[in-house]
Order: sequence, then C-alpha cells, then structure tokens
Amino acid sequence: MRKDDGYKPMMARVTAIVKESPLIKTFRLSFLKKDDGKSFSFSPGQFSMFSLMGTGEAPLSISSSPLEDKYLEVSVRNVGNVTNAMFRMKKGDTIGVRGSYGRGYPLENLKGKDILIVAGGIGFPPLASAIEYMLDNRDDYGKIWILYGVKEFDDLMYKKRMKRWSLAKDLDIIVTIETPCTEWDGCVGNVTELFTKLKINGRNTAGLSCGPPVMLKLVTSGFRKLGISDDDIYLSFERMMQCGTGKCGHCNIGDKYVCSDGPVFSYSDVKKMQEMVW
Amino acid sequence: MRNDRFYSLKKSDLQKFIDHLTKRLTVFAPVPDGRSCNYRKLAQGQRVIIDHCTNTEFPPKSVFLPEGEVLLEYGKGDRVSERTPDDRAAIFGIRPCDVHALLVLDKVMLGHDRVEPHYKKRRDNTLIIAVNCTRAGENCFCESMGTSGLEEGFDLLLTDQGNHFHVEAGSGKGEKLVSENRKLFTPARKEAKRPKLEYKKRIDTKNLPGIMMKMFNSGVWEDVAKRCGSCASCTFTCPTCYCFNLVHDADIGDLDKGKVVREMDYCMLPRFSRVAGNFVFREPRTERVKQFFYHKLVYGKRRDGKFHCVGCGRCITECMAHIDITEEAKKVRDVYEKR
Repeated sequence: MRKDDGYKPMMARVTAIVKESPLIKTFRLSFLKKDDGKSFSFSPGQFSMFSLMGTGEAPLSISSSPLEDKYLEVSVRNVGNVTNAMFRMKKGDTIGVRGSYGRGYPLENLKGKDILIVAGGIGFPPLASAIEYMLDNRDDYGKIWILYGVKEFDDLMYKKRMKRWSLAKDLDIIVTIETPCTEWDGCVGNVTELFTKLKINGRNTAGLSCGPPVMLKLVTSGFRKLGISDDDIYLSFERMMQCGTGKCGHCNIGDKYVCSDGPVFSYSDVKKMQEMVW
Repeated sequence: MRNDRFYSLKKSDLQKFIDHLTKRLTVFAPVPDGRSCNYRKLAQGQRVIIDHCTNTEFPPKSVFLPEGEVLLEYGKGDRVSERTPDDRAAIFGIRPCDVHALLVLDKVMLGHDRVEPHYKKRRDNTLIIAVNCTRAGENCFCESMGTSGLEEGFDLLLTDQGNHFHVEAGSGKGEKLVSENRKLFTPARKEAKRPKLEYKKRIDTKNLPGIMMKMFNSGVWEDVAKRCGSCASCTFTCPTCYCFNLVHDADIGDLDKGKVVREMDYCMLPRFSRVAGNFVFREPRTERVKQFFYHKLVYGKRRDGKFHCVGCGRCITECMAHIDITEEAKKVRDVYEKR
C-alpha cells in the first residue's frame, strides 16, 4: 500500500465461506478490482484492516498463503461488532480491506531452522499463513512442529487444513483441548503441557506463537526451557487498533507501537518493554 | 542570524493585517471565552485582542485534527470516497509552546514512514502566525521544556516591542504575506527584544526518561492514581495528545449511506485499550495514569526525539484533583535520588 494512503479500503467479494465451528468462520475473498489484487501483498503475521461500512473496522491477520494470488482468507471468531456483522455475510457480499500493516514473522531469516509453532484459540490464522508459506517452500525449513490448543471442542478450527498439512514430510501436529468432552479422544490440557512430548534441539529451533496474553507468557517460558534463544522466539500481540498505521495511538506498549513495530515481536524486544505486556 | 527576514508592524496596523487575512482565509485566533479564551474562526472585521489571556483554554490541535472530521464517505454499490480538506486557513496568535506541540504532532502524523493525509493537508494549508508571550501563566513551565521560544515552525512570528511588533518571517509563505502588505510591514534590522519571563513552575528534564523508566513500578504512580478521577481533562486539553478513533456513522434515513469520522480518544478512559471479548489492557487506573505521564515525559522523547510535553500547563489548570505534572516529576526524581 502507498505510504500516504488514507483510510479508503479496497473492496473485496466473499467467494466462499467455511463454518469452522459454531463460533468461527473462514471467508475467502477476492478483490473486485484486478489492480487492487495485484498491488495487495502481505507476509504471514502482518495484519490488515477489514471494514464493513456502517459497522466498523477490525485488524485481522490473513490465514492463506502469501503466495496465493487469486484469493485471501480470513478467519474470525464472533466476539465483537465487526466480527458479528461478518458472521452475517453471505457469498457475494463485499468487505473493505486496507493494508497490509506491521511486521510479521521473519520467515526469510528462519530458513534452515526447525520451527515450533504454538497456536492458541483464534490466534491460529497468522500462524496458518506461516505454515502454508513454509510448506510452499518446504526445503527451506527443517522439522516443523505445530501445537494447537483450544478451550472447548467448539473452538477447533482448520480441521481440513491440518489434515492436509499432516501429509507433509517432517511435520507433526498435536492438538489439545482444555475442557474434556465425549467428541474428543485426543490430548486434554493446556497447550504448554505438550512441550514435554517434544524432542527438540532448541539451539536450531525458532518458536512462533500467537494466542491470548496468558498463553503467550507460558509459551515463552516453555520455549526458553527448550533452549530456544530469545532472538528466535516470535510472539504476536493483540491490542486495540483504529488506524493500523501508527497514528491513532491506541496500541502502544511503552514506546513501541504494536501496529507498526509489531504485531510480531521477538522476545528479545519484549523483554525490554517495561509496560505490562501480558 | 539573517536579519533580512525582520520587519516591524505598528500596533495600530495589526487589525488591518488581520482584516487582510480574514478576507482571504479562514482565520483562527484566540477570542475571549468566559474567563479564558479559545481559538475561534474570526468573522470578517472581527477585532483581535492579542493579550487577553496568556494562552487559550483548549489547544489549537483541533484546527489540525478537528473533532468529528469526515475522513470517508460511503454509499450504495461499494462506493467509498476519501474526503480531503481544502480549507486555506491561518492560525493567528498561537504561542511558542503550542507551535512546538504542532512540531510534535508532525513527528507522529507525518513521520515513521507514513503520512496521515488529512492532517498533512491541513498543515500544508494553514499559515502559522505565532506570537511570543509577554508574561507567563500560573502553570506555564515551557522554559524548562525548551519550548518558550521559536527557531522554526512559524510563517510569521510577532514579538511585542511596546508600540510595535517585531515580525520575523520564518518561511517563504511568511515572506509572501509581508510582501502582500508592504504598507504595513517595514524592514527592521535587529532581533526582537524579549524580556525574561518569570516562571513559577518547571520540570528538571535532565535524565528524566531514564529515571522514570527505573521508577516504573514506584508507588508514586499509585499515589497519583488514588487522586485521579479518570476524567481525561489532561488528555483532552493536552496540545500533543492526538489519539483518535475511526467511527462509522451511518445515515439514519438511508443505512446504505454514511461516513467515517475521526473522534478523539483519551487513554485515561478504560475503554481506550479495550479489545473484542471485553479485555482491557490498562484496567487499573495506575496503568492509565502512567500511560499519560510516561507518554509525555518518556515514550515521546524515545520514539520521536522530542518530549510530548511542551510545558503549556493546561493539564495542571484543568485537573479537578489538582494533579500537577511538574510536582509529580519532581516527586519521582526525589524518590529516585533518595532510594
């Protein structure tokens, strides 16, 4: 996006909707104008502002591969004004998109490393995009572990995608649910409890995570116990955002802005933040 | 200093100059408003009293970031258009501290590789005609913040010299104003004489960001929070507070139509940091108090190289709980030095 662009979104059409669970939907979008589709680009972990005129805007991370040029996908949980209105969208409806903004996961710098991904709840989408990108460039990365934790069975998303990913070579997925239920016969408990199951060479591994604040805190200490260096721990933060471009002042943590210095920060940078981060 | 930019303007000619401005531009100037004064659009021929008050009650930021500014308009069929402001304006009588505040806002709105186009347009289209102060207000501490004088940021700078104003042109636009009014401005050789003003308040800024970072968890802030009522007056009247929301405002008569407007927001209010799911990142009042003090005295300096406090004293004047940023800054330094 041009550096002096204002708040005008590009319009995109909903071409498909997947109901991931009662609370989560994935929307496949294509830009109405070809030029917009060509000019729009993003890297996994960056975010864009999605708007429904008359309702508002929300910062969301795209979950599809950045190399996919025909469409993009976003997944939302029905928790706020905008996501609630998005839930009422039908195929053929339009939605505004502006971005991309911020810094994503530095996947180019992580080539050659093993990758440990820890996703919590609706924090999965930016990591899903990172996974798609790494699978598109499979030989550039070592072993990939994906740990995914949710509270309830109904929070589970990307079941089909995970099945597809699990066929890739050298890739393990473990899913855990905090609240036991009859539909689920897999792991039960907190996602950080899965760390004990991993045999990892921490020195050559990067840890990527996105999820609720408390989880990020526990995951970070788990990463460090595995021997992953603070420079190789990448965490995505959520804050209130209005502009996405470092002007509206809502998303600061100390002198850093989550929208432009983040949303993905290395733990080396997080350590220096004095304001409460989680 | 080059002195070919210096002029003299008779006090009796000031109104003629103002009238010249109001004929051509939207002119904002301080006009009496209750016990204080505030920036208002001048009517043609409206008289300006230059020293009615030391400074305005509300800062001039609203000229550049107007409350309720329409940013986008939308209508049926995915039509969305950006609204760009095209008012040619001048702000007359703006004080040095408030000009410094604009330079701070420039760092935020025009810096960090992204330009806020609406703010930029208003900045580009607004002449800055500043006036040096002849007296310090009760709560002024600009001198200690280094913002009591101006080297840049103005098109014209007026300094009271008794029977006339010394005028310095600070830009090509300022020179043009002078040349349009050749009869009113006569060349002057010398710099303006400025009396030394007496200030009752000051902040010792030496190592202040470093000290405050070490005192982040100090009880000083809890003590402030106990007195603070979270009314947001400090942020409302701060000339460098710029936080805003983008609010979608649908047309009640035709819901397909509407606009997106800018509404100012204030970090002292709990909902400021609230995200979907009702999680509030700065729930404790102490955290919100710290956000204000640290933004003004630490974060701004670290991020933009300039303190986001220009010493105007408005937050002190308007605080119902009599919280005084100069006293709290002193307190935190004292506690730090005694520990």
